[in-house]
Amino acid sequence: MTALRLTWLLLKKDLRIAARSREMLGFTLLFAVLCVLVFAFGFLQEGTAAEGYVPGVLWVTLLFSSSVSLLRLFAAEEEGGTLELVSATSAGTVPLFVSKVLVQLLFTGLVTVVVLPMVLLFFNAELRGIGPIAASLLLGLIGQATVGTLCSALLVHVRLREVLLPLVLYPTVAPLLIGGVKVTALALAGAEGTRDWLTLMLVFDLLFVVASPWLHGRALAR
Amino acid sequence: MASAPLTARGIAWAAGDRFVLLDLDLDVHSGELLFISGHNGAGKTSLLAILRGASQATQGSVALNSVPLSEVATDYLAKRIAVLQHRPGLYFDLTGLENLQLFSSLIGRPLTDTEAEALLDRVGLPREAHHRRVRHYSRGMQQRTGLARIIASKADIWLLDEPSTGLDPGGRETLSTLLRQATDAGTAVLAVSHDQALIAKADRHLHLHDGRLHDMTTQQEAL
Repeated sequence: MTALRLTWLLLKKDLRIAARSREMLGFTLLFAVLCVLVFAFGFLQEGTAAEGYVPGVLWVTLLFSSSVSLLRLFAAEEEGGTLELVSATSAGTVPLFVSKVLVQLLFTGLVTVVVLPMVLLFFNAELRGIGPIAASLLLGLIGQATVGTLCSALLVHVRLREVLLPLVLYPTVAPLLIGGVKVTALALAGAEGTRDWLTLMLVFDLLFVVASPWLHGRALAR
Repeated sequence: MASAPLTARGIAWAAGDRFVLLDLDLDVHSGELLFISGHNGAGKTSLLAILRGASQATQGSVALNSVPLSEVATDYLAKRIAVLQHRPGLYFDLTGLENLQLFSSLIGRPLTDTEAEALLDRVGLPREAHHRRVRHYSRGMQQRTGLARIIASKADIWLLDEPSTGLDPGGRETLSTLLRQATDAGTAVLAVSHDQALIAKADRHLHLHDGRLHDMTTQQEAL
């Protein structure tokens, strides 16, 4: 059986479980909405320009909410004791890793679709420079999903992983966060210079997309 | 005596600074129903983990058909050795049928709906439960589904940790029959259990005590 077919089998299984339990997407969306509301209550004051907060609020919300779904990413495997069984395929652990990255990407993508209009609305901003912003979101979400899945897998058997996951994840994805904030700020202001930051995000993604499946395999090795 | 596809030599294993298993040799023979008993904490589950390559022995080696386990590819090992642990190895939000078909497909032995249904019937899972989520199964029903997963794997070595957990008397009888059918077909079955009724049907019974295996079959025969 090819790696692609194995990945599809595992992805289909995860989506079926997510559709039945609904907790993963539901909690992640709720957390993201609450995050935007808290930022809005904290930052917005009458008579001050609010648009400048948009990049920071958007990216920090996406990062925080991604860790909510990451903490549940391997929950089904832990509950039933299936991690060892789904890791031992003819294509090694790569199908498991890729399917989990795709699930995480799908969830954070859905969260972004909800969060972006909310942030623009609350902070009274107009969506300009849609091209660079879309590119930065795509690169940011791919990077976060890849690094996040790796961290989640490494910590799957670790006590206090709820505490450790953000401590490991946030510093690692800092280049993505900085790049995403810069691109969004420049694009909203109609300024030039987004290309360099997008290149930084692309390099980060390439590095982790190549290295993460291997590191994940090493972590799960017998 | 039949061939021994799984062999362990000089196995020692320490938990912290305490040695739980000491210089232990074991051959698991084709067509043999072998039971290992022992008190809690004797190291039975750890021994099973070492035998399937999930845990590394402090000393000694395990070989599958004379090839050291560390040199055997993970997917090949999954096809040759089927494992039933304390947890049944199932996704709780999939149905029994979906679980069976998923795990069979992952090891390259896919099952049709009819084949999967027949297997679940064989382990005694009620028809109405085939399409229910495992989350709503009793412990015994989960164990039966786990057992169906083991049979579906068509592995020639079964390593079972307390296989009668949660089973009612009917389920234990089914389990006993299935184990005998498997060994008659040439499968090597090693089960860790405290269930005396099940142990009574073993070809060989070893007792793990003070880190060493003691052959109870010869002692019982002598008595």
